[in-house]
Amino acid sequence: MCEWCFKHGDGGKWYNNARLYRNELADEYNCSEYLEEQWKNMETLFIRKIMGFNSIGLGYKMKMPIIGKVIRKVVEGQIHSEKKNRNPVRADGHFGQVLPLEDAQHIIGNLAAEPIIKNYCVCRWMQRGVKDAVCINFGQLSEVIEKHTRYIPEGVKYRLDREEAIQALQEQNEKGYIASVWFQPVPYINAICSCETPECGGLRLRNDFDLRTVYKGEYVIDIDIDNCQGCASCVSMCQFNALRYLPSVKRVIVDLDKCFGCGVCRHACKHDALNLVPREDVPGQAGKY
Amino acid sequence: MVKKTKITVDHSKCHTGASTDPRDCRKCLFVCDPAVFLMHPTLEEHPDPHNPEIWRIDPIWLSKCTGCMKCVKVCPEHAITVVPGVSLHEMKAR
Ligand code: SF4
Ligand code: SF4
Ligand code: SF4
Ligand code: SF4
Ligand code: SF4
Repeated sequence: MCEWCFKHGDGGKWYNNARLYRNELADEYNCSEYLEEQWKNMETLFIRKIMGFNSIGLGYKMKMPIIGKVIRKVVEGQIHSEKKNRNPVRADGHFGQVLPLEDAQHIIGNLAAEPIIKNYCVCRWMQRGVKDAVCINFGQLSEVIEKHTRYIPEGVKYRLDREEAIQALQEQNEKGYIASVWFQPVPYINAICSCETPECGGLRLRNDFDLRTVYKGEYVIDIDIDNCQGCASCVSMCQFNALRYLPSVKRVIVDLDKCFGCGVCRHACKHDALNLVPREDVPGQAGKY
Repeated sequence: MVKKTKITVDHSKCHTGASTDPRDCRKCLFVCDPAVFLMHPTLEEHPDPHNPEIWRIDPIWLSKCTGCMKCVKVCPEHAITVVPGVSLHEMKAR
């Protein structure tokens, strides 16, 4: 459990707290208004100047002495902001966590508010020029996104019932996309994404600049050495470069410091050698989100 | 001082209303492994704020550029220039 579980989990994981999905909570925080403004400007997030800086050449800016540290502090403060006057245009309070398919499907089956829609991934459109209808959004966010026709998949049923959304998540996860759940803005939860790196804006900031836009999952992978046949199929599934094949011992090893606990590698294993275990039970990984 | 990578996109060639609309072409986005480029609506007011109509391409993640020049070669408008500097990968290795 991370700091957000202690703040908003009511005793459990934050994303398992039914209260954070309700319309009443969204209304209390004026989320509809926030989402309306945020989504109108979504693709301009990285080119907009925030306190004099935009994200162009962010890597160089963050390497600058002093200024780099200031930028980190300001940006993380905005990402995690719970203040009243949050700015939707710069996505204040919008961050998420990687989670395994089972947890994502539990959310869609039991917790997500209706209506549930699938729409084109904004990140993949901006960064790769591809329209990929993999984002599952729900509650008040669905009604906001529906107004933006460029995100609505053409010629298919995009409003989904719970069963259809659970199936969609299954297919996307099996392809190798990473499931993630999002506050938008904290503490209202309204999206399960199926991400790919380096296109995903959240994972970009986390992986390349170590900004906490996306937290690592509640689990890490465990390799059953007796079962592993060394086929190496799992290696190509991992988007975090955590798995590697060793010719000398003919099996794969994991670098747990890189493992986000997405569980996507499991789909490739035909020998039941990959299982998720709670991060908290693994020495050196407990508390590292 | 670190030598930064410099990339330019000539918007007189690639822009909504110019000879190529980036939303139709998208070739530079496809070829760049580290996904340095971003396609985005301009910051100006758009007639329909829900569906902005004026789009362009700008380089954003400059420190990730590997200097492969694939974007320069693929661009049908010859709109892109790249002057490679130090990439963030190299900075990490030091
Ligand atoms: S967060 Fe992930 S799935 Fe959602 S829009 Fe970005 S890349 Fe796509
Ligand atoms: S090794 Fe970890 S990060 Fe990589 S696919 Fe498996 S669970 Fe995900
Ligand atoms: S897919 Fe399974 S059997 Fe094959 S290398 Fe990975 S863990 Fe071992
Ligand atoms: S030179 Fe290569 S790495 Fe750099 S922006 Fe162009 S395609 Fe991308
Ligand atoms: S390849 Fe050239 S013309 Fe095509 S979108 Fe990129 S910059 Fe524009």
